[in-house]
Amino acid sequence: MKKIHLVETILGIMAVDDQGNVIEKELFEKNSEEVAEKIYKLQQGEIIPELQQIAQKVKNVEEIVVEDESLAKALREMYQAKITVEKPSPIAQQIRAQIPDLAQKYNYAKSLQEYIQLTHQIATYLTRRKIRTAAEKRDQLIAQAIETIDDIDKTLNLFASRIREWYGLHFPELNKLIDEHRTYIRLVKELGLRKNYTRENLQKTGFPPERVKELEESAKTSMGANIAEEDIEPLQKFASITLKLYQLRKELEEYIDESMKETAPNIRGLVGSLLGARLISLAGSLEELARMPASTIQVLGAEKALFRALRTGARPPKHGVLFQYPAIHGSPRWQRGKIARAVAGKLAIAARIDAFSGEYMADELKAELEKRIEEIKKKYPKPPKRKKPEKVKKIKIRKKKKEKRKKKGK
Amino acid sequence: MSVKVESHEKFENIYWAVFKDTGERKLATKNLAPGHTVYGERLIKYEGEEYRLWDPYRSKLAAAILKGIKVIPIRTGDRILYLGAATGSTSSHCSDIVGSNGMVFCVEFSPRVLRELVGVAEHRRNMIPLLEDARFPWKYRMLVPQVDVIYQDVAQPEQAKILADNAEFFLKPNGWALLAIKARSVDVTAEPSEVYKKEIETLEKRNFEIKDVVHLEPFDKAHAFLVMQYKP
Ligand SMILES: C[S@@+](CC[C@H](N)C(=O)[O-])C[C@H]1O[C@@H](n2cnc3c(N)ncnc32)[C@H](O)[C@@H]1O
Repeated sequence: MKKIHLVETILGIMAVDDQGNVIEKELFEKNSEEVAEKIYKLQQGEIIPELQQIAQKVKNVEEIVVEDESLAKALREMYQAKITVEKPSPIAQQIRAQIPDLAQKYNYAKSLQEYIQLTHQIATYLTRRKIRTAAEKRDQLIAQAIETIDDIDKTLNLFASRIREWYGLHFPELNKLIDEHRTYIRLVKELGLRKNYTRENLQKTGFPPERVKELEESAKTSMGANIAEEDIEPLQKFASITLKLYQLRKELEEYIDESMKETAPNIRGLVGSLLGARLISLAGSLEELARMPASTIQVLGAEKALFRALRTGARPPKHGVLFQYPAIHGSPRWQRGKIARAVAGKLAIAARIDAFSGEYMADELKAELEKRIEEIKKKYPKPPKRKKPEKVKKIKIRKKKKEKRKKKGK
Repeated sequence: MSVKVESHEKFENIYWAVFKDTGERKLATKNLAPGHTVYGERLIKYEGEEYRLWDPYRSKLAAAILKGIKVIPIRTGDRILYLGAATGSTSSHCSDIVGSNGMVFCVEFSPRVLRELVGVAEHRRNMIPLLEDARFPWKYRMLVPQVDVIYQDVAQPEQAKILADNAEFFLKPNGWALLAIKARSVDVTAEPSEVYKKEIETLEKRNFEIKDVVHLEPFDKAHAFLVMQYKP
């Protein structure tokens, strides 16, 4: 009849009897990175080799005590002995009280200082690894959120056109007066029937005086049909829900920005969180983006044009979604390709830091990029002379990542 | 500007920086990582040593000291389990106090904030960053040895339970616990809340002897700060 306690420590795994004597031990090799990896596995409830070895060493055991259910579960599948969980086990507590001394006794560390240093290194590896994993998963949430924003934009356009058409029956002139969908929809929701376009009401909605006058005037002289209160109500409800959709879009943007701060601070710092999120979503994940060469990043989102170019021999696209970067779309046509290349180059670096190490360097990258853009602008101030389209080199293209991901998910 | 640094009259390794022209006295600790600041605090040189000013608006422990707490049980060489370390403002001062033979195990479960603490710990080997949930102490049982002190400042319901569960795993008998606990609503004149009273009950039931309590206003309006001894 023998009962042992398995105690997992930073030094290794120990089998301890009821009196607190260490009867067997399997020390870890002194490699902080590996120890961190082993502790990570233990935390996930995985059986590591040291645990197996020690279980083989102690014979005739009837009961094994551990401090974690998931580990107990894994052990139950492998051993006949009764596995019990004590949270905490007083025997393990006794061992924990001696760890710094045991480290020296077992020659694991030569001094207290070395024990402290080892603990620091192991914990830092482990923590960095976990932070990275947290960031990795988060990128999928970010990709979903940015794709949702695109869906909402399409929906909003559709709804706005519908509202304009519907409301146009009653007040057709408003269509030309208000370009911005959101403002238009707000008027529909808040004022409804034309007769409510009074100076007072309009001022309340925040229009400047000239506009108030104009709107009031055209409501009075409108050629639209008169409709009843009950006919405007369903439209107003629709308008109100559409406005909520605008609000949701804004909140998603804020959510993406917060998440990008954690997951991809360097990409965010370089090109902003929305464009950064789009790139992650197009690449499929942060890690895939980090593995892409700059030339691929440069044309992400322009796959259609790229295929067309390959098929027909037309010029390949100079930029994909990167076109949204202000210094690209804000520059003259002939500079854009060169600037896009520079941005993509820095992005590739930023993505690698975000995916693999995590320190913040975006400000530096950004300064370098801005300098490069300055140089491009100075060097190519004028459009080049037209020449015949050059022959296109064969480019290897990978299957569009996003589609692949979607298929896998099905 | 001339500054003099003197030891705190009661607490080990805690100092007063005395500004001669204004007569102001500010808390400070001796910088274990000279040249580095953690949260933008001011560095002061005095007689060949560097000190970091300790901002009571950023750190509840500093606030508790200024509010006259009777015991600060942190000493040279101590090991501290710090729950809710965030970016490391307070835990870095603890790291100064325990010195290079002590250890501060910094548990924090938000990767975003812990990432900053990892940066701080690069210059402080006695700070041990742990991305863990303080509600599950058994998850970090292989990393944390027995400790002398538990410091807890997590914005969580059931704070007393979290502290007691961690104490069972890691705190030595007669060891100490420091706890920042939500005591009142923002209205300082209000009575301590029911929740607070319940938490105190739990603490006593689970073997903590309360040695002193201070309220942290004006530095922090919502929290009380408890110092307790563990008598299992
Ligand atoms: C008020 S802040 C702590 C500030 C810190 N004590 C200081 O003075 O520098 C509370 C922290 O506790 C963390 N936290 C909340 N619940 C937690 C839990 N269950 N485990 C670990 N950390 C937690 C939060 O992420 C937050 O960073």
